[in-house]
Amino acid sequence: MPEAIPPVFRRAVIALSGGAVDETVVRLALEFGRASRAELIAIHVVELNWTQPLDADVAERSEEAQRVLDAAEGVAEAMHGKLEAVLVQARDVGAAIVDEAAARDADLLILGLPYRTRFGGDFAIGRAVPYALKNAPCAVWVVREPMGEEPQ
Amino acid sequence: MTTPRPPLHGRKLGDRRVVVNRPHSDFFRYAGPGTMVAKAAASAPTTAVGRRVARVRAFVFGKPLTSAAEIGERLSKKLALPIFSSDAISSSAYATDEILRVLILAGIAWLTWSIWVAAAIALMLTIVALSYRQVCHGYPSGGGAYVVARENLGPNFGLIAAAALMVDYVMTVAVSSAAALANLSAYFEVIKPYSVELGAVIIILVTAANLRGVRESGNIFAIPTYMFVGMALLVIGMGTANVLTGHAHMVEPSKFAEKAGTEAFTIFLLLKAFAGGSVALTGVEAIANGVPAFKPPEAKNAANTLIIMALLLGVIFVGLTFVGMNYGVRAETSAGQPVLAQIGSAVFGPGILFALLQVSAALILFLACNTSFNAFPRLAAILAKDDSMPRQFAFRGDRLAFSWGIVVLAAAAIGMLWAFNASVDALIPLYSVGVFICFTLSQAGMVIHWRHERSAGWAWRSVLNGFGALLTGVVFLVVAYEKFFNGAWMVLIFIPALIGMMMFIRHQYAASSRALQMRPGTAIPQPHRHNRVVIPISGVNRAVVQALNVARSITTDIRAVYVSDDPATSTEVREHWVQSVPDVPLVVVESPYRALIAPLVAYLDVLDRSWPADQEKPITFVLIPEYVARSWWERMLYNQAAKQLRATLLGRPHTVVINVPYRRDETHVTAAAEEKHPDGTLVPGENGVATDRSSADRPSTSGRR
Repeated sequence: MPEAIPPVFRRAVIALSGGAVDETVVRLALEFGRASRAELIAIHVVELNWTQPLDADVAERSEEAQRVLDAAEGVAEAMHGKLEAVLVQARDVGAAIVDEAAARDADLLILGLPYRTRFGGDFAIGRAVPYALKNAPCAVWVVREPMGEEPQ
Repeated sequence: MTTPRPPLHGRKLGDRRVVVNRPHSDFFRYAGPGTMVAKAAASAPTTAVGRRVARVRAFVFGKPLTSAAEIGERLSKKLALPIFSSDAISSSAYATDEILRVLILAGIAWLTWSIWVAAAIALMLTIVALSYRQVCHGYPSGGGAYVVARENLGPNFGLIAAAALMVDYVMTVAVSSAAALANLSAYFEVIKPYSVELGAVIIILVTAANLRGVRESGNIFAIPTYMFVGMALLVIGMGTANVLTGHAHMVEPSKFAEKAGTEAFTIFLLLKAFAGGSVALTGVEAIANGVPAFKPPEAKNAANTLIIMALLLGVIFVGLTFVGMNYGVRAETSAGQPVLAQIGSAVFGPGILFALLQVSAALILFLACNTSFNAFPRLAAILAKDDSMPRQFAFRGDRLAFSWGIVVLAAAAIGMLWAFNASVDALIPLYSVGVFICFTLSQAGMVIHWRHERSAGWAWRSVLNGFGALLTGVVFLVVAYEKFFNGAWMVLIFIPALIGMMMFIRHQYAASSRALQMRPGTAIPQPHRHNRVVIPISGVNRAVVQALNVARSITTDIRAVYVSDDPATSTEVREHWVQSVPDVPLVVVESPYRALIAPLVAYLDVLDRSWPADQEKPITFVLIPEYVARSWWERMLYNQAAKQLRATLLGRPHTVVINVPYRRDETHVTAAAEEKHPDGTLVPGENGVATDRSSADRPSTSGRR
C-alpha cells in the first residue's frame, strides 16, 4: 500500500453546520493544515427565507449561531491553532459557502456531513454538499460522520 | 446589527450574502445558553502602564494559565515526591544529631542506644504515615489533619490543628533559610552580617518560583531532592557494607564533639532523645494536605507517594544512625560538623562523592522550605473555603497557584527571620512543636473515624491510630516541655492567637451571610419606596448636567446642593442655575466655617428628619459628578472632595452613592458644546447633554474642592 501523503493547502474554508461532525472537521483541518501553516476560515451560514431582508438582525443576536463558531474557535485554541470565524446570512447555504471560498481564494473547502436518512431509509445528502461539489472552484472535502447505531 | 454591512455578491446572479458582526468574539465565547466564557483579552489590561506591568509579570511569573489548564498543572508522583517531601527527607540530615546530642549526656557507652531510639521513631513514622495514607483516601479534597480533626473531633479542634500547622510551616521556611545561610556563612564569613537580608532574598526567590505554578517550581526543585536521596542511600549502602565486612573504622572525635556527660540514663533521658529525633517526622503531613495537587487518581497517587516518602525517610534516617553508630560518630557543636558530614567523610573519604553529599545536603536543607510553600497555601485555601480565613486565600493566581497563601507565608517567614536576626539557634526551639499537635489530633480523629465507619479492619486500625495519638501526644508534651523556656512558649501563644483570629473571621462571615441570606422561593416585590436625588454641585458645568440627566432617569424629586464659603459666588451660581435648570431646585448651603463635606451630610440628615415619621424612609441617591482624569497626574488634581464625600457616605443608611463620570473626550459632549445658545442658557445637545457658557471649561464640580 503506498504511503499516505498529507494533502497540502494554504487556505481552507471550513463550513460548519452546528452538528456533532463540526469538531471532527475542525480537528482534521487543523491537523492537516499544520504542516503547511495553512490559513483556516470557519464559516457558518444562517439561512434566511424571503420573508426577511438579507441584512435582518438575526444571526448577530442568535447565541446558537455564534456558539457554532465559538465552539470551533475553542477546538482550535485547545489544539494551539488559529482559526478565523465568519458568520454569514444568506438565502442559500451552499451558494454562500462556495462564494466565500471563492472570494477568499481558498484552495480547499471542507464540509461536514451528518449521516441522515430520509423517511424510508434512503441516505439524505442535503443540498449544500452537492452544490459545493458541483460549483466550488477549489478542491472539496466532505467528511461524513459515522453511522449511528441501527434503530431497534 | 451593530454595524450593517453591504451584501456581498456571489458568483451567480442573485446569490448574495451578508457577513455578520461578532461583537463578543474578541472577549468572550458562548459556552451554552446564556453562558459566556471570558477569553484572555477580557482580562488584559487596557492602559499602557497596565500592559507594561502585565509584561513584567509574565516574564517573572509566566503567562497566565486558564482554569482548564489546572489538570495539566497536576503533579505526577515523580514530581510530587520532591515537592512535598523535601522537608521530611531533609530532616533525616540532622535528626540523628539530635538523638546523639541527648544520649551523650549519659556517657559515650549509651550512644549505642541511638539505633533503638531511631527504630522507635521509625515505628512512629510508620504509624503516622499509615494514618496519613488513610487520610489521603478518606479525605481526598486535602486538608490533612485539619479536615480529619474538623470532621471527627469538631470544628474547634480543626482550627487547633490548622493553626499549629500554619505556625510550623512559617517556622520551616524561616529555619531552613536561616540554616542554609548558616552553612554558607561557614565558608563565606563576609555574608554573616547580611543574614537577614540574604534570607529575605532567598525566600523571595522561592516565592517567585512558587508563584510560577506548582509544576514549574517542582521542575526547579526536583533535582536537588533526588540528588540528596541518591547520595544518602549511597553513603548508607557503602557504610553498611563496610560495617558488615569489618572495614568500618572508628571516627576520631574532633575538638567540637559534644562532651560526654554524667547524667543517669533514665527513661526521661530516653524520652528526650526520642523527642529530639522526632524532628525527622516534620513535613510528613504535607502530602495529605495537598491531595488535589496530584494527577488522577489523586488519592491513590498521593497515598503511594506518601508511602514512598516514608520509606525513603525511614531508610535514610535509620541507615545514617546505624552507620554513624558503627563508625563511632558523635554529635558536634554548631562550630563542628554535622553527623552526616562525618559519616560522608568516613565512608567516602575526601573527594568528589563527599563534596556531592555535602552540596546535596545543603541544597535540600535550603529547599525544605518549598514543602511549606506548597502545603501552607493549600491549607489556607481550604480554611478560606470554610470561612476561617479571608476568602482571597482560596483564589488562584495567574499561574493557578494560591498566590495569597504563598505571599503571606513568605512575608511571615521574613518577619520571623528579621525578629530573630536569622539565628538558627534562636529559631529552632519554635520549630516542630506545632506539627506534633496536628499529628496527635489527626490520629485521634482517625480513631473516631474508624469507630464511626466500622469498615473492614476498623478495630486494629483504630488501635494503631490510638497508639499513634498517644505516642505523638507524648512527644508533643516532651518537646513543648524541653523547648518551652527556649522560645516554644511563643508558639504556644501564636497558636491560640491564630485560632482566635480564625474564629473571629468565621464569626464575621457567618454574620454577613445571615444578613445577606434570602429565604429560598421568596418572590421579590417591585420597589415601593420613594426615591429622591441630591446632586452636590460646585457650579454649573457639563459634569453637573451629565449628573442631572442621570438623576432625571431615576426620579423627578431632584435637588442640587451647593455648599459655599463665599456668598458672592453662591449668588452667581444661583443665577446661572435658575437660568439654566429652572425645573430643578438648588439649595445653597453657606458654610462660614469653610467646611464642605460636613454641611452636606448635615443637610442630608435634615432631609431625613423632615420626612414624615409614619412613612417608610425614602432612598436618597447622592449623585456625585466626577471629572474623569486622563492620566495619573491629573487624578491627583481632581475629585479629591468627591472621594472624601463618597467615603463619608459609604455606610449611611437609606443612601445610595453614585459617581457620574464626565469624560472630556466624549464626542456627544463636544457636539453639545457647539450648540451654545447666544444668550448663554443651557441647551440640550446630543443625548440630552447640555452646557453653559460660563462654566463649560471648568473641569469638575468636585475638582474645585
